[in-house]
Amino acid sequence: MAKIKLHRISKSFPGVKALDQVDLEVSEGEIHALCGENGAGKSTLMNILTGNLQPNKGTISIDGHPTKINDPQDAFAKGISIVYQHLSLSENLSVAENIYANGHPINSIGFISYAELYRMTDRLLQELQLDGIRPKTKILNLSAAQKQMVEIAKALAKNPSILILDEPTASLTGKEAAILFSLLRALRKGGTAIIYISHRLEEIFMLADKISVLKDGKYQGTWPREQMNEGKLIKTMVGRNVESLKNESHSTAEPLLSLRNLSGDGFTDISFDLARGEILGLAGLVGAGRTPIANAIFGAEEYREGEIFLNGQHLPGGHPVKAIQKGIAYVPEDRAHLGLFLEMSITDNIAIGNPKSTLKKGWYSLGKAKKIAEKYTNSLRIATPGIGQKTINLSGGNQQKVVLGKWLNTDPEVLIVNEPTHGIDVGAKFEIYEILQFLASQGKGILMISSDLPELLGICDTILVINKGKVAGKLPIAEATEEKLMALASY
Amino acid sequence: MINTLKKHRSPWLFIFFLCAMGCTLPPKNPEISTNRSPYQERKGNLENEEYVMVTTAVTMPMYMNRDQRAFLKWGEERNVKVSVLGPADWDVPAQINTIEEVIGTQPTGLLINGTDPAIAQVINKAVNAGIPTVVYDSDIPNADHAAFLGTNWYEIGRLQAEEMVQLIEGKGKVAYMGILGMSNMETGFQGYLDVLKKYPEIEVVGKYDSKASTEEAARISSDVLSAHPDIAGISGFDGPSGPGIALAVKEAGKAGKIKITTVDGEPEHLQLVKEGVIHMLAAQKRELFTWYGAQFLYDMVHGTNRLSNNDAKAGITSIPYRVDTGLLKITPKNIDQFVN
Amino acid sequence: MKQILQERIYLLIILLVTVCLVAGITFPTNFLTFSNFSQILLNVSVDTIVAVGMMLLLISGSFDLSVGSVVALTACLTAYLMQVLHIPIPMAIVLGLCAALVLGWINGYLVAYKGINAMIQTLAMMGIARGAALMLSGSGSQNLPYWFNTIGQSKLLGIQMPIWYMLLTVGIFTFLFKKTIFFRRYYYIGGNEKAADLSGIQVKKMKMLGFVISAGLAGVAGILISSRLGAALPTFGRGLELRVITAVILGGASLTGGYGKIPGALLGTLFMGIIANIMVISRVSGYWQEIILGIILILTLGLDKLLLKRYAQTA
Repeated sequence: MAKIKLHRISKSFPGVKALDQVDLEVSEGEIHALCGENGAGKSTLMNILTGNLQPNKGTISIDGHPTKINDPQDAFAKGISIVYQHLSLSENLSVAENIYANGHPINSIGFISYAELYRMTDRLLQELQLDGIRPKTKILNLSAAQKQMVEIAKALAKNPSILILDEPTASLTGKEAAILFSLLRALRKGGTAIIYISHRLEEIFMLADKISVLKDGKYQGTWPREQMNEGKLIKTMVGRNVESLKNESHSTAEPLLSLRNLSGDGFTDISFDLARGEILGLAGLVGAGRTPIANAIFGAEEYREGEIFLNGQHLPGGHPVKAIQKGIAYVPEDRAHLGLFLEMSITDNIAIGNPKSTLKKGWYSLGKAKKIAEKYTNSLRIATPGIGQKTINLSGGNQQKVVLGKWLNTDPEVLIVNEPTHGIDVGAKFEIYEILQFLASQGKGILMISSDLPELLGICDTILVINKGKVAGKLPIAEATEEKLMALASY
Repeated sequence: MINTLKKHRSPWLFIFFLCAMGCTLPPKNPEISTNRSPYQERKGNLENEEYVMVTTAVTMPMYMNRDQRAFLKWGEERNVKVSVLGPADWDVPAQINTIEEVIGTQPTGLLINGTDPAIAQVINKAVNAGIPTVVYDSDIPNADHAAFLGTNWYEIGRLQAEEMVQLIEGKGKVAYMGILGMSNMETGFQGYLDVLKKYPEIEVVGKYDSKASTEEAARISSDVLSAHPDIAGISGFDGPSGPGIALAVKEAGKAGKIKITTVDGEPEHLQLVKEGVIHMLAAQKRELFTWYGAQFLYDMVHGTNRLSNNDAKAGITSIPYRVDTGLLKITPKNIDQFVN
Repeated sequence: MKQILQERIYLLIILLVTVCLVAGITFPTNFLTFSNFSQILLNVSVDTIVAVGMMLLLISGSFDLSVGSVVALTACLTAYLMQVLHIPIPMAIVLGLCAALVLGWINGYLVAYKGINAMIQTLAMMGIARGAALMLSGSGSQNLPYWFNTIGQSKLLGIQMPIWYMLLTVGIFTFLFKKTIFFRRYYYIGGNEKAADLSGIQVKKMKMLGFVISAGLAGVAGILISSRLGAALPTFGRGLELRVITAVILGGASLTGGYGKIPGALLGTLFMGIIANIMVISRVSGYWQEIILGIILILTLGLDKLLLKRYAQTA
């Protein structure tokens, strides 16, 4: 019998039907992958399961009994735990206090027993093989991956019978992901029903027993893993075949951006050249020093030694405004926090990259800004009801296109993109690759930081591997394979 | 070239001239009156007789319990409408704004707390609008109000200093505090210092800003006590400072030994005199300010004591120009008459 | 319709008109008169000029608690320069305004470049400026020079000058916020500071200048109020900062930044001014004023949220 069963669940928001008669059945001891593009309704479904939202229609049954999940506390009481994609930890509290946020052990007179709290946390962390994390450490002193592991530990501390994971590996390294997978397999053996949401198809095929697909809020079906393959899954999610990348190189011999012996916080002695028309990939593990290098080029971080040249001329640092004037653009990794003005319109988001382009006789002209936004909304195929839409209402892929539009409006010579397809659905990913390739064909230089190896292998001309802040190797695309890159990145 | 320049300039010149023509300057050298201006006969009748009192810091307990209560009681006994208006905090511009807005509603009489000389203009505006106006507490120079009732602040300083000299037998260190920046307090300080000047063996160690807060006064006093363990006396010039000084002295275990003189006769002050912590209170007769202030307005309007065939035509008023209500000196000797 | 509901300004205009109509019917002789309205405008003029600066800061996601003290210091310093040091009036005004700008610069520099929390920094400055004003003027300076007083006491076309200055300030800043890149940047900074920096906006410099502009406007307000009263008191502007922040939030700003329009500052202070005026006319005791203003603030913001939610549900 199904541990949890969702029957014809529907949920509407103003203007959107987020879920339309969705069914889902998860049994004990089963890892059930839930797939779908961003905006397909996965998050809404999770919010219903955890009591944050109430469905308009449909029933939820746990152990065969129809039930109602009133709020998150109610969900915990019914044995449902969730590991959020966006971290839900209090930075200033210790690991132990976060894990047992609502269930501190108390001593005989009713106060928190810290000794017991730390003992419990220690035991839990041991069980999860998280030896590197100490119960008393404050969250803010942990790496992103460690935080994610604490988040998972927090969910497991409640001994849930139903565990939901939302993109748990997004910030994990390979080793940490492996620990997580073995943990999930152990839980499966123990009878926990697991709902696993991920964009990473290889994980899904490695872990899942069953795969369910949502598309535009509609349930597409459930398949046992053996009856599914990557191509079929993508087709079900996207509703069309995504043609594989045609890798035409536009690289020239003319150097555009050159780094010479650059050293700073998190990187040492970095030298490389980026030619016109080249797409240069920066591979490496999370925390290897790729983002600090990008920040140094863009002037967002200081560097200690070395030089940066653009077209043979020294590139001034100090503030991004100088780099932008010289023709450098940077799409940062964390769209919501670093790239976008979420509460502002598409027009305002695009206009700010090159405010001079919005001037008419020296004064700001909304009409002109709108024309520019219109232009990029059309050329980048940003799906939106209008350019006045706040970017918070856009899907991840469209948000990323808005950031790209902002920089295209500055007509840059060098475009640095940092994890440009992180958390973006398959369809939009390919559109972004197309944009990058088009720009390369126009003679721009593109520096692409990505942790998605197939992506790097798919569109780069050359791949540079960064390991512990240093250049570990440089591979022309013809010689590069996933194995070689992984070896260089983590020897 | 010149033509184009002219073309560009002309609209601006035009606007400038328009502005200059439409501009009215305030009257220069307003007459500084030494006499109270006569009351102008009112056009309206006395059917909707209403007296309005405008003060600042209306929520201050002393104002509420003394000034305002006496004023409201007066209204009840005369059976006329009375209202108390003004900002909740000490905010002179806001008091002025309130008076300006009240003038528009033409009350029968206006009783104003003389908080600062800056309210002179608005008092004159009220007088010119034909509203009988009386000021209480502190007099306002250069204003045409019909009468003033208050206490001589210099006297408050003098009384405190003379009592202090006796209490400390003419020698030792003293400190004093009040709300710095208020003109009546500064007058009081002057009276205080003028007396102490005559006693070379008395050393004034400091003038402090109590910021009208008991907590601040207590903090300052304990600092003074630790800086000058041999201090003989402390005086306070604003209501909240008395209990503050007393608290610090009590906490230092020196109650009764360090002499305290201060102002106001609120219940907490009286209690401290009874306990022997405070040795003298120089209290104002605030109830009389507003009671008689309102009565003056009433007598003016009703012509109660007509002194000529037509006072307005004769250019006189039938009420006193200036009333000093005097002070209450409260000491352990007479304290029982003030507490229940 | 949604546009109307999203901008609190429109809601406030509807409320203002309603309140005025009700008051006009209730007090037919006293409320809807030219003299009463010019009195209301005159009374809010100083607050509004300070509120324009505060609106700028709130848009950029910051605020300044020291504006009230800066009003007092500018007034007292200018008076001191004119009366004690006998410096010519225009010179004294310029120096007074410079002092305000310097205080704003110190606030801005320490908040933007040294990362001191705006609340703590401006709270400290509030005490410092108030103390300096007290030291300069003691119990206050009376009888300021005639030509200084003409600044605030003259009339143009029958309307007092402070009203014109207020309208001019609101007009200029409304225009600048609509039409210049410089001022539009404050919306981006308030929306997402990090993204603004990575988009080429020099956030630190802009934030510092925001404090300078706001303090400059507080300085103008200080000159204006002292010339209007013909006196400079160290108690000027007590509680002004909170009153102005309240007005600006009523006028559509949000403490998180990124929201608000300059005319909202005027509407906010006007709304508070009209409520205060109605309370004076209806003889509501001063004890009630703050309570009623607090209730109105909560009700307005609550109504705002309610309308947006209602709209979201029906759509």
